[in-house]
Amino acid sequence: MAGPPPNRSAIAAKIQTPFGIRALTLLGVVVIWEFIGRAGLLFPELFPSVTEILQSLWTYVTTPVMLPHLKASLYEVGGAIAIAAVSGVPLGILWGSKKSWLEIVEPLILYAAVVPKIVIFPVFILFLGIDVHSKLAVGAIAAFFPISLLTIAGMREVKKVYVDVARTIGASPLQIAMNVYLPAIAGQVFTGIRIGLGAAVTGALLAETKVAKAGLGFMIVEYYGQFRIADMYSLLLFIFILASLANWAMKSVFGFLSPVSRQGGDAGMYF
Amino acid sequence: MSESTRLAAWRLGIIVGALLIVEASVRGGWISTFFLAAPTRAALVFWQQLTYGNALLLTSITLCEIAACLVIAAVFGVLAGFFLWRHKLIGTSYEMLLAALFSSPVILAYPIFLVTFGRTSAAVIALSSIFGLIPIIMNTRSAFQNVNPILLQVGASMNLTRRQLFRHILIPAVAPAIFSGFRLALTYILKSVLGLEYVAQVGGVGMWLSDAAYKFEVEEVYAGLFGTIALSILFLYLINRSERWFRK
Repeated sequence: MAGPPPNRSAIAAKIQTPFGIRALTLLGVVVIWEFIGRAGLLFPELFPSVTEILQSLWTYVTTPVMLPHLKASLYEVGGAIAIAAVSGVPLGILWGSKKSWLEIVEPLILYAAVVPKIVIFPVFILFLGIDVHSKLAVGAIAAFFPISLLTIAGMREVKKVYVDVARTIGASPLQIAMNVYLPAIAGQVFTGIRIGLGAAVTGALLAETKVAKAGLGFMIVEYYGQFRIADMYSLLLFIFILASLANWAMKSVFGFLSPVSRQGGDAGMYF
Repeated sequence: MSESTRLAAWRLGIIVGALLIVEASVRGGWISTFFLAAPTRAALVFWQQLTYGNALLLTSITLCEIAACLVIAAVFGVLAGFFLWRHKLIGTSYEMLLAALFSSPVILAYPIFLVTFGRTSAAVIALSSIFGLIPIIMNTRSAFQNVNPILLQVGASMNLTRRQLFRHILIPAVAPAIFSGFRLALTYILKSVLGLEYVAQVGGVGMWLSDAAYKFEVEEVYAGLFGTIALSILFLYLINRSERWFRK
């Protein structure tokens, strides 16, 4: 037996919350898109129906069709973030440890950060070829800036007294870096790595769309070339979901390791 | 020598030193000219493109695209930001969606824009405007949110009309924060325009670099790269200067 119909004002109250409005907006976009896609009202080739896109997405998730491309992209992004972290964190600590160095270097880094990293891609192609390593390099340089800049920002917040105490007891510069600076700036470093991940994904995949033999970005351009628009949309959706999951996972792990990292903002455009 | 001159001299020294090392490496034959062009050769090619080639035309195309993006982002961004401030619930709800959109790799959707607008500057402008639009919306909304309520109370006590309140109190109060949004937007637009021009091989300076790379003209690649970097740095410098001037 059906229960009593829900009170209208209760439904309205549920909708009139930020979550309700967000859900309603997303639902509205999907419904309008589906309607346009099915009715063919607006550029039928450009707006395939949502069901068509989801069917294509299901193929990616359930079959190994994307596996080699996913592997290539994961290798590039993983390698990029590792290189960026291994170089960005020590350099950030080094630059941030002395005010005079920071005053010289920081404006150079800030100006270099504005340059879109994808434009360095032709140089990497010359040195590393069109295989995965040139994309890995673009991803690494894109991720380097948020990581090093946030490490520097963390270094600014380290209390001088901690360093003075370590020096008094005869700690070496390496010991100070490992035992004083690193624990104190962990939150900022984690935030930098998380934002760097977004930059690495964008940098590497954008480079794949330019010249590549494999990768998710490469497939986007392949589908675009073959005018398989529904497949292209579903692949973009697949990438957005993967990027969001990776971001969420990093946020959770880093938030657990260092609560300070939770305060960090999301990535902007660092590619 | 003042402190700022000393620091600038150090920075210049680092850049010149790095360029000299590259120059020596290439001229000494330690690095093949197939990979790396001597900075002097790249500078010469850049100068030739500037004086006899179409570097100025390409730069003007890029600047026009950036200007168009800024106008679109400013008009729609300020209006949307104002709307989201006026409608608090919608503003709070959409803030998260906008932040999510901004942090997602939307730029990868550029083929959709190429299909929609064709391989023209319009595609670059349409996509890059989004990257300018979001920071302007968010800054405008937060600018209106942060107006000191005392200022509004003073206006009300002086019996100002809504129009007078808006013109004499709200606009001067929110202008600096909105300008900061423009500055941020310009930076993102610049990166997006140059990046898309290169990737989609369309438009101005970015296309020059892409063309050179396709032809494997190493010196021209480095000249184009130099042009792109110089434009980015000059742009940021001018934005910073104008912000300082505006804040005075």
